[in-house]
Parts: sequence; C-alpha cells; structure tokens
Amino acid sequence: MSKRDKKITRREFLRLATVGAAGAVLAGCGQTATTTPAQEELTTAPTTVPATDATAELTVAPATSEAPKIGSELIGKLEGPEIIRDAAQFPTKFSEAPTLATLVAAGTLPPVEDRLPDPEDLMVIKPLHEIGQYGGTWRRAFTGPADHENGNRIVSMDKILHFDYTGATIMPSLAKDWSVSDDGKTITITLRKGVKWSDGEPLTADDFIFWFEDIYSDPTIVPTPFPEMQINGKPCVMKKVDDLTVAFEFPEPYAFFVYQLAGSTGIGAGFATRGAFQNWGGGYCPAHYLKQFLPKYSSEEEVNKKAKDEGFDDWVAYLKNRYSWALNPEVPTMTPWTTVSPLNTPTWSMTRNPYFWAVDTDGNQLPYIDEITMALAENTEVANLRAIAGEYDIQERHMGLANLPVFLENAEKGNYTIHLDPAFNGSDATLHLGNAYTGDPEIAKWIKNKDFRHALSMGIDRDQLNEALWLGVGTPGSTAPSPDTIYSPGPEWNTKWCTLDVEQANQILDGLGLDKKDGDGYRLRTDNGERLRLEMITAGGQFIPYTKVGEMIREQWKAIGIDVEIKEMERNLAFGMSANDEHQIILWANDGSEMLYLFARHAIPVDPGECHMGMAFAKWYASNGSQGTKPDDPEMLHVFDLYREAFGLDEAGQIENAKEIWKIVVEQQWSIGTVGQSPAFMGLRIVKNNMGNVPERQVNAQHARTPCTSLPVTFFFKS
Amino acid sequence: MIAYIVRRLILALLTTWAITVLSFIIIQLPPGDYVTSYIASMSASGVGVTEAEAQALRIQYGLDQPIYIQYLKWMGLIAQGNFGMAIEWGRPVLDVIGDRLTLTVVISVAAIVFTWALALPIGIYSAVKRYSIGDYIATFIGFIGLAIPGFMLALIVMYVGFKYFNANVGGLFSAEMADAPWSWAKFVDMLKHLPIVAIVLGIGGTAQMIRIMRSNLLDELRKPYVMTARARGLPETRVILKYPVRVALNPFISTLGYLFPYVVSGSIIVSMVLSLPTVGPLLLKALIAQDLFLAGTIVLMLGVMTVIGTFISDLLLMWVDPRIRLGKQ
Repeated sequence: MSKRDKKITRREFLRLATVGAAGAVLAGCGQTATTTPAQEELTTAPTTVPATDATAELTVAPATSEAPKIGSELIGKLEGPEIIRDAAQFPTKFSEAPTLATLVAAGTLPPVEDRLPDPEDLMVIKPLHEIGQYGGTWRRAFTGPADHENGNRIVSMDKILHFDYTGATIMPSLAKDWSVSDDGKTITITLRKGVKWSDGEPLTADDFIFWFEDIYSDPTIVPTPFPEMQINGKPCVMKKVDDLTVAFEFPEPYAFFVYQLAGSTGIGAGFATRGAFQNWGGGYCPAHYLKQFLPKYSSEEEVNKKAKDEGFDDWVAYLKNRYSWALNPEVPTMTPWTTVSPLNTPTWSMTRNPYFWAVDTDGNQLPYIDEITMALAENTEVANLRAIAGEYDIQERHMGLANLPVFLENAEKGNYTIHLDPAFNGSDATLHLGNAYTGDPEIAKWIKNKDFRHALSMGIDRDQLNEALWLGVGTPGSTAPSPDTIYSPGPEWNTKWCTLDVEQANQILDGLGLDKKDGDGYRLRTDNGERLRLEMITAGGQFIPYTKVGEMIREQWKAIGIDVEIKEMERNLAFGMSANDEHQIILWANDGSEMLYLFARHAIPVDPGECHMGMAFAKWYASNGSQGTKPDDPEMLHVFDLYREAFGLDEAGQIENAKEIWKIVVEQQWSIGTVGQSPAFMGLRIVKNNMGNVPERQVNAQHARTPCTSLPVTFFFKS
Repeated sequence: MIAYIVRRLILALLTTWAITVLSFIIIQLPPGDYVTSYIASMSASGVGVTEAEAQALRIQYGLDQPIYIQYLKWMGLIAQGNFGMAIEWGRPVLDVIGDRLTLTVVISVAAIVFTWALALPIGIYSAVKRYSIGDYIATFIGFIGLAIPGFMLALIVMYVGFKYFNANVGGLFSAEMADAPWSWAKFVDMLKHLPIVAIVLGIGGTAQMIRIMRSNLLDELRKPYVMTARARGLPETRVILKYPVRVALNPFISTLGYLFPYVVSGSIIVSMVLSLPTVGPLLLKALIAQDLFLAGTIVLMLGVMTVIGTFISDLLLMWVDPRIRLGKQ
C-alpha cells in the first residue's frame, strides 16, 4: 500500500475519532471480520538443523474482510535483518565507529581486526535495508530499577542461541553452531574463535565451565537447579570438549533443550539478562572478573569484607550485584552496548562495546548507534506523553494501545511513525478459571463442569470487545495461538466454543439444571435458591484494560442469565489470591503461550512459578505428586502426560503433542480466551522518522526477546 | 522550661520508636511480600519467575523469617547507621533516598516559599481591605485554588505546556540535562522548570493559607487593643503588623510539624504525575513492591521529621506567643 493511502486512512480515522469515544466509533464502522488481514505466514518449518539461507518465504495473506480494518493499516510486513551463515560471503576488510578509531589512533585500543573474532567465525549481519552510519544516541524511557527488561531485550544478542526475525527458526548468536547427538542426550555448542569480552579478555569454554561449576553448582549461590537444566528431574552436566566447544549432557533424551538455549529461559536468555534478573543464569560468565568475589579463590573472610565495605550483607549479595550488567558498569559482557550509568540511577545509559563480535556485510563493526540513554519516567503515562512529544527515538515498551488515537494525531508534530506488532498468543485478556477453587462448593462445582465453561465462553461477544477495547486490531478467539505458529492445532481451534451463541449457551445452562431465574433474569443457585453470582478478579493499571473487559463481559453475560461481580485489585493482591486458588475467575494474559514448552504457565497448570488455572494442580505436577492436589479431571492428567513426554521427543513429536494439548485446552476451556493476537502488549512502536533499518513489523513474542530479533545493532540514525 | 523541653524530647524518642514498629507492621499488612510483587511485576512485563527462583529470593532477602526477626534485623542495622538494602534498587537505602533528597528539599522549599510569599501579604490585604474588589478577587482565586486538586492542575499544566509551548513534559530537567553532571547550565535549566512545579505544588496550600490568614486577622482586628493602638496614634502599618499579624501567624507556625515531613517527601501524587525525581514516588513504588527496608526507612524518616517539626513549632509558638509561654509556667 502506498504512503498516500495510509495518510488518508489515518486522517479519516482521526476525523472519526474526534466524533466521540474511539470505541463507539470503531464499533460503528461495521467491521466484524475475525481475522487480521495483514498477518504474515509464519509457517516456516521449525528446524534445529541450521539453515544457511534464512530468508523465509513471507507472503501476505489475502485480506478476508472487504475493507482493511482500522489500525491494520499500521501493521506492516514482517521483516528483519538476515544473519549470513555462509563464510564465503563474509567481508574481509573491517572498519569501526569514528569514536573507536580515535581511541585506536591514540593507542588506547587495539585495531578493529584484533578486537573482532577470527574472520571466518564472525557474526555477519545483512541489515534490513542498507548499510548504516555510525553515531547518535538512542533515547528511550524506562520506569525504574524493576524495568531492567527494557534494556536487557535490546542487548540480548549475548544469548547462546537465538531466533531469526520470524521468531520461528533457531539461529546462532553467541555460539557459532550447535548440534544434537543421535540419542538426543548431548547438545553441543561451538564458540567463535577469538571472540572477546567487553574488556578485551577472550571468551572460551572455561567461562562456561566456571559458570557451571563455581556458580550454578554452588548451593549457597544457586539453591535450586533451573527446571530447564533437568529432564524428568535428572540434572544436566556441562563439559568442556575443547577451548571452543561445550557439551550439555543429559541422562535422558532432551532434544528440546536446543529451544531452551534459544528461548527466554534461565540458561538461554544470556549472561546480561539473567544477571539483571539476579538469578545467575546465562550458561557462562566472565570468570576472570568474577573470581575475585568468590571465596574459593581467596577466603570467605576476604570476600565478605569486600561485600561489607560496599554496604552488602555478605559475599553472595555482593556477587549478585557484581554479576548484573545493569547494576555494575564494571562487569565485562558480551552485549553490543555496556552500561555506563546503572539502572538504579535516574538515567540508565549505555555505550558501545568496542569488542562486539558482529559486523555488517561490508565489514563495519556493529552496533551503528554509539549510545543508548533511558530516561526515568515515574509513571507510564508520562512516558507516553513524552513519546507523543517526540522525545524517544524508538520505543515499544510502555506505549499504551489505548493512546493510539493520540499517537496518530501527533505523529507529524512529533516526527515519528507508528508501527503495530501483533503478538501470536491467542488471548490478551483471558478468563482463567479457578479450576482448583474450593471456597464455595456450588460455584466450584460449576467451574469444574465443562458444559458450564462452554456456556460462559459462548456468552462472550468477542467482536464487541475487540472493537471497543482493542480498537479493532486484535483477533477474537480462544486461548490457542495464532494459526501462523508452529504449535497451532489449526484455525478452527481459534473459534471453537469461542464464538457468540447466546441461544446454545442458554440451552446448555437450562439443561444443566440452572433453569430457575430471579426477577432480573439471573439464574439461581441449585443449593439455596439465591442468585448464582460469580466473582471475577481484575488487576488495575496494566497494559490491557482488564477491568473494562470484565465490565463488558458482565453486561454480555446478562443475556445468558449469569451474574458476575468484577473486583478490581492491586496486581499483587490479585496474584496472591490466584496463587492460593482463592479466585473463581481472574482476568490475566496468556502471552508467551504460543511457545508452549518454553512458557506453559499461561496455557496449562504446570508451573508453580505462576499459575492462574489451578495452582494446586501445578504444584502437584511440578513436584511429581508429592505436593499440591491431583486434578480429578482425566483430561488435565492427559495434558500433563503429553507435556512431560514432549521434552524428550524429536521436533515432529514435540509439535504433535503441542497440537494435541492445545486441542484439549480449547475443548476443555479451563481458560476462556477473548481477544488476542494483538499489539496491546509491547506492540505499539513509536519510531522517529530519521531511524534506519527499522522493520515495518517485528515479531512480538516473549521467546523472541522483542525487539532483539530485529537486531537493534543494525538500527541507525539517518543523517 | 528546661524540664519541659526534656520531657518533650523523651516523648519524641518514644514516638519515633512506636513509628518504627507501626510502619513495619503496616508495610507487612498486605498479603504477600517483595517476591510475590516481583513475580507479578515480571509477569506483567512478559517474563516468568520459577518457583525455585522465588524461593531462593525469599531466602536471600530473609523474607522466610518471621516478621519480628526481620524487624530486629532492621533495628540492628539502624543501630549501626545502616538502613539496609533497597531490594528493588540493589543499593543501600540511604544512597537511594540520598539521590533524591536534595532535589526533594529544593522543590518543597520552593513550593513553601511560593506559598508563604503569596499567602501572607494577600491574606493580610484581604483582611484589612475586607469586601474590596481586591479581596473579592483574592477570595475567588483562593477558592479555585482550593477546589482544584494538585494532580489535576499538574495534568492541565502538562497538557497546555505540551500542546501550546512545546515544553518538556514532566521532570525537573530538560532531557539533555537530566544525566549531565551538575553545572551552571544544569542549575539554570532546573530554575527554568522549578517555577511551574512550585506553583502546581503550592497553589492549593496558598489558597488555604490566604483563607486562614484572612479569618484569623479579621478576628484580631476587631479586638479592643487594636482600637487602642489606633487611638494612641500608631501608624497603620505598625498597628497591623506589630500585634494582630503576629497573633494571626500562630496557625502558620503550628503547621510546621506537617511542613517538615513534606519537605523531605514532596507531594506523592503531584510528583508522580509530573514525574519529579523526589522521595514521594520512591515511597509509593517501595510500598507497591513491598520493599520493606526502603519503605520502612522513608516512613520512619517522615515520622521523625513530623516529631522534630512539631517539637520546633512548639518552641517557636512559645517564643512568638507570650500567652502560651506564660501559661506553661
């Protein structure tokens, strides 16, 4: 579509938007389409066999509605930079940023050839549009020390493996290559020869083994092993094969471990990210720097004294601080930018890593941008207002979809462009039912009843929700992920039981014996004849307006005679209730669920770290039955079996099990989906018009560490 | 006199101790702890925390211990002049507060100066020239100032600034100055942002002060001693300023007790809206995150400032108002 078309539609949209509330206007546009037309095919077959050609076939699916939906104008083509894996195409001459060239000329920094890995072991990236120019400071917003993900996600190239820009194919990152043994028990990674930490020291297999032996295996530091580092409760052993080769050995087949290395997991998310999380992950760490803080290499008294001198309780607390790239500017990293002014100050600033190990196809050392500064915004509304004023160069985090009309109105003045990046998860606001709820026996009985759950789901008018609260850019449906993703059981499962059908819902409820109603038309309880009143918890102040969604569903359920009370709570309280199975229904996201095995917690009750559809069941699953409650629903037990089994299966088996799980999840409606595949969560991206190599659309997914798969090292300021 | 001061001092210490206990209990009251809040905040930003990680965090921060042990630990730290670690910030509590304290004091003092500089003369004028046009205007503006909540005014100022003046939105510095080291240019930059902030913060208080000053002074002006002074032929300014105004100042002085904590915390809501780097938003975030030591220390600090403020205002009142001084003896 041409730029001209875009403009007209935007103006038209604005004109309409000024008439009244955006929701009412959008609802009046007569759009009832249920699919987002501009969605790309993401059916690139997943493969752990490294592909030499990463260009995925991207075809724009034909629009299914007559006219494109408002907002879909802003959803562009999924695109991104390409990682070149054929050494024959590698550049042989290298250049660097002028700031670094000055240092080299002054003799304080070795020449670029000496800082980069060996020429055949480079990470070579073909930028999206053009070779960029060096320089500039990328301005962004962050909301305080809890917002470390804001920066982590930009520098996540220090992951061992990562995904390409489609989010579907595993790609090398810190590791040059990887392989899985025939028996599926050993996963081997190969490092880049000559690759260096940001202080110039070499990174070798010893940094991995140091991490495994001295950090990960020390119970004082890491009291409990990472779940992804075990298969069926049996732990992994990391071994050094040679200086550049590390093997992860498991007692049982665990082919899925490659995905764990590429995903946003404790082992896979990189040294920087997991350090900022203060949970010791990443799989490697700078041994030469961290040894001074470990008692093993001096004495407990000495390291404790060091910690006390800096105001820390003990050496573990100090080590944790030293381990975090966001808090400690001194720690060497493998990231494209390193911290200058730490996260716990009013401005989190970063500068380029002179030893970064990636170049563009012309041999220019990346990143292009010199510095990143994140200014503290005490609340997200201030961040939104500043973005509207054009104070940020690229910002996707904290930008609210509800502010889209205002963003559009000021786009010219603020000199920015808006991109929408829909996610792949099925439902942004999901009615997670308290399947292990016991508080009110009558309510608990109905929640456990599959037909009752179907009726609740069919009583929701998702199109209305989408038009009013997602500005029409979402896709109504179940919790199942987008049909474009690898684990999708098929498009029919996105609508099954999740299409408005008041008549059938009423028939089901009548048939269940809930046929008596009070004067207001609400159904009565079967035990004491009072009104059957459900309770739905919502968390306030989130990216997704959960309470508004709840209130709208409340109105919609009147037609099926179900009364529900919406209780908005502070997020912690809501989570507290759901962690104790005290909730009947909680409205929360299901983000990340499209990569079922990497992040199952929003899809099925298997992860006691966070679970909204029955914490007692999740505890039972995770503890192999020693804690929690065994679900009495045989279908849930079947899901547990399929899930547990999948980790040892090959690729095809994993996909087959995932599809089967999704079918059961949709059939059972333990969680009821509403509207998803939308840009509501980190999918509204404000990009200043002078930024180069920024994709029209990027993968918006947890496992892709958005925006990292768009490789921010290739972004640049056009002069 | 001395005995009175000593008695007050002992009471002040006891009050402070009670504040530490109370603040610790109140902060602990909501269900969950820092780790549950951390899990929720991570989930909201699309990240998972495993149960094992959560447990490890609880052990590391000592959150698995009973509340009184945590309290004693905190007291032990305070005795050493160390207020513990702000968990979320990964830095000692004193550093975290210290960063923001100077700016908070600057902003608050600016707001107070604005309030008093405006409220006192206008209040006196309104009382002396009662029912004049000037009085009506001052009253009208005063009522508007009272009726508009500070955060509302902040929002309006921000919107108008953004829409018509292309001004920076929120904050105390321009974007390019925020992380610059202190310099003359940065100071000037702050002075440019300060008046708006001071007005927004001070306007409500100003309106209130004008009303109080006006009504107090009116009461005094009616009294016979004023008439006597006039009859003796004292100049009008002296008649008003020397006695009635001095008496009417009493309420200003007795509010010192509240001004002290205000000076160190700033207004929480307005600071949030305007994104001011003051202690107020820090307290709110610490409470939401259930960052025990940080929230506890700020609450303790506010309590201590209230106690000191009340103490000083008592002394000042004794000095200003002979009736109190003589009444006590």
